[in-house]
Amino acid sequence: MIVPFGHVLMLAGMLFLLGVFCTLTRRNLVMIILGVEVMLNAAAIAFVGAALHWQSLEGQAFVLFIMAIAATEVSVGLALIVYAYRRSGSFDPSSCNLLR
Amino acid sequence: MIFYLTGGLIVASTAMAITRRHMVHAVIYLLFSFFGTAILFYLLGAPLLAALWVIIYAGAIMVLFLFVVMMIRTDATEEVMFPLNQWLPAAIFGAIYMAVGAAVVLMTPGTEVALPLMAGSPREFALYVFQNHWLSIEIVSLLLLVALVGAMSLGRGKGRDRTEDEA
Amino acid sequence: MIPFRAEDAIHMTVILATLTPLFAFLLIMLGTRARKNLSAGLSLGAIAISFGCSLLLLARLWNVREPLEYSTRWVALNRMEIPFGFLLDPVSLLMLSIVTLICLLVQVYSLGYMAGDPGFSRYYAFMSLFAWAMTSLVLSSSLLQLFIFWELVGLSSYLLIGFWYEKFSATQAGKKAFVMTRAGDVSFLLGLILVLVHVGNPAILEMNSLDSAGLMPSGILTFAALLIFGGIVGKSAQFPLMTWLPDAMEGPTPVSALLHSATMVAAGVYLFARLFPFFALSPTAMGIFLFIGTVSMILASTMAMVARDIKQVWAYSTISQLGFMIMGLAAGGYFAGVFHLTTHAGFKALLFLCSGVFIHTWHTNDIFELGKGGARRLKIPVIALVVAAGALAGLPPFSGFFSKEAILAALALSSHPVWLAAGLLGVFLTAYYAFRVLCILLFPPSAGEEPSGPVGGLAPAPKASRQEGSSRTFIWPLIILVFLTLLLGFFQGPLQHFLLGEGKALLVDHGEQAGWLPFTALFLSLAGVGLAWVEFGRCGAARLGFVERIPFLRELFSQRWYLDHFYHFFVDRIVDRGFSKLFAQNDNRVIDGSIEAVSRGTLEAGRFLAFLQSGMIQYRLLVSFAVMVLLSLYFFYRDSGGF
Repeated sequence: MIVPFGHVLMLAGMLFLLGVFCTLTRRNLVMIILGVEVMLNAAAIAFVGAALHWQSLEGQAFVLFIMAIAATEVSVGLALIVYAYRRSGSFDPSSCNLLR
Repeated sequence: MIFYLTGGLIVASTAMAITRRHMVHAVIYLLFSFFGTAILFYLLGAPLLAALWVIIYAGAIMVLFLFVVMMIRTDATEEVMFPLNQWLPAAIFGAIYMAVGAAVVLMTPGTEVALPLMAGSPREFALYVFQNHWLSIEIVSLLLLVALVGAMSLGRGKGRDRTEDEA
Repeated sequence: MIPFRAEDAIHMTVILATLTPLFAFLLIMLGTRARKNLSAGLSLGAIAISFGCSLLLLARLWNVREPLEYSTRWVALNRMEIPFGFLLDPVSLLMLSIVTLICLLVQVYSLGYMAGDPGFSRYYAFMSLFAWAMTSLVLSSSLLQLFIFWELVGLSSYLLIGFWYEKFSATQAGKKAFVMTRAGDVSFLLGLILVLVHVGNPAILEMNSLDSAGLMPSGILTFAALLIFGGIVGKSAQFPLMTWLPDAMEGPTPVSALLHSATMVAAGVYLFARLFPFFALSPTAMGIFLFIGTVSMILASTMAMVARDIKQVWAYSTISQLGFMIMGLAAGGYFAGVFHLTTHAGFKALLFLCSGVFIHTWHTNDIFELGKGGARRLKIPVIALVVAAGALAGLPPFSGFFSKEAILAALALSSHPVWLAAGLLGVFLTAYYAFRVLCILLFPPSAGEEPSGPVGGLAPAPKASRQEGSSRTFIWPLIILVFLTLLLGFFQGPLQHFLLGEGKALLVDHGEQAGWLPFTALFLSLAGVGLAWVEFGRCGAARLGFVERIPFLRELFSQRWYLDHFYHFFVDRIVDRGFSKLFAQNDNRVIDGSIEAVSRGTLEAGRFLAFLQSGMIQYRLLVSFAVMVLLSLYFFYRDSGGF
């Protein structure tokens, strides 16, 4: 007996909110991706909790894939950030805003 | 009990992470958060995932972040912290989201049930994954290959010319 | 319509009487403006035909007992119907005869007066227009039709007052007259609508019958009566809408004689007499009418006492006498009021025409100058003037004496003695100012005397040309009117019989009650005459009225009791700067502002939305997040049935 499933979900939700907050509010490209990481983290927690709740390993398998996707996305994303930084000279998302 | 401690650790370190101006600090805090998540996974019965989480997520992805952050000259980036017109809508919708989430959780009948204490051993887990989701594994490996190639080409090709122009 | 031959003949006569002047007007305006004599001839011919027809009708229907009505339904709604046609009863026939007679006489007179004026044809055209409008007004069978012609009469008044349109003051006066009477007409229209809504049929016979008392609750009846009286106040220049009439003297003198003494302003009193049974249903309203009539009478008499312009004196006198008539009618003296209307038309027109002779000869309106110019030398106008002034002052045997007695007798029957006292005071003042003018005109100071009044030392105007003063077109109307003034008084009996009919109880019995009344009135008239003689007429008299010695009173009277000042103030400050400004601000800020705000809001919304579509990724992400949250909210509500 650990903890009610609802609490796990609440935790995941809070974390997700923090991730959204980071993505939407920090004016820094790196921070945007960081926020995405946090969100993925929250999703993973939710999945694992659900796996335990429903007594199925499916959730854990999915966390594996989440991890893989996260790795992929971070690597490509950071490469893009470096490229954007080299072009526009700053990390502010509004500096590479060509669609005025 | 441990769950709550761990949960608190995760939330606190994430909160610290997202509010740091210095990016390296933010990444380090996030690292703590991931360690906490790993502990949580172990609690929730996924020991292999916990290990993988530490190795790959905390070990590789965050290190990648650190590399990129250190490549940038920090004095060149002065960031506007939390502009209001982004922060306020995010807070409002976030609050609504929390309220709805809490309501959903509270009103769904199955959520008060305490989770049983179980553990899925790595062996079972691996068997399960490779039996049922082998195709997804192959696709993921392909995806990783694509990411590798893409990152390399993005990082190398244009970057080299640029530095010659800029410098 | 009843298909009798006799009725058809009357019908034709009525139509001829009213419409021939209209044709004259149209013909002159459209065709014969260049040919002056032809225009004048057309107009004179038309009005002569009208006069002839009116006499025919009068003779034919002298003994009729019930009023004859020819009308067709003009508008019929589900509950309301508005007839259109003619109503012939004693008072309308009498009024028609007066109107056409005086129109004819004035038009003859104008041949001489307006000779040489560039707008000669236009003048006669407008005269015909007025004749048409006035005769149709007199014979209207329903209140709405009367209102239409009421407005037309106002229009012709405007056109004729501003006839010499190059003179700025004339156009101003025309505008003022029209706007002031319009104010009265608005209340008239409101009263008319009230009647229409409640009774459903504004025919005058319907309104006068006692059934309508049942259809309208008494409060509404009083209110409607007051509103209709508002129109009378405007048209007959009673208090408080009285200041347009002295200004209307800017028009040519024959116009003043016709419109603003005998006929148009009398239309108000005529309306009162027409709707007399209707008004009598509401004693409150009659009381208020009495009050307004009295106030107008006294006020105008005071203003006449200090006026220097001869036409203005007669204008004030008209206001005062109309007030007197309204007093008589409001006190219940139907015949008295109508009789005074008749006699007043005669002697007031006569006064104006005589003054016109003087004005035409010496080209000035000021009585002091006219006197010094030698007005007493024109014989026939002087005699006519004396006769008319005597009638105005109420001296026997002129017609004015009889009619004033009738009104005073009616006033004596009213409950409060203050009205009678006011009437008697009015008699005194009337006699005084009438003979003031006469004395100043006829007994100018001789060469050795220096008048102590406010007279500028002007040289006498160009010498009178005797031929002008006694040309035939001037003289004959004067003579006819003189005879009328002399004789009309003695027709009181037959007229009373005609107007009131045999069966109806006489509302006022002359001479039976208050036997002391005629002698008191006569005494007061003579006292007024005497006072005027003492102050103005004697040799060596100081030409200064007893009122003029008190500067405050003189200022008050000559500034028309500051009524004009009040109107200027009211229109300027309150209406113009107050209401108009308020409405203009409302228009600019509120209405325009809100439309502008809508457009600006759209622009701003567009700009705001453009933000979301810019390259700034976080805004787009924000929108996605928001949508996700709202969707979650929606699904939550849907699946759980909401809170």
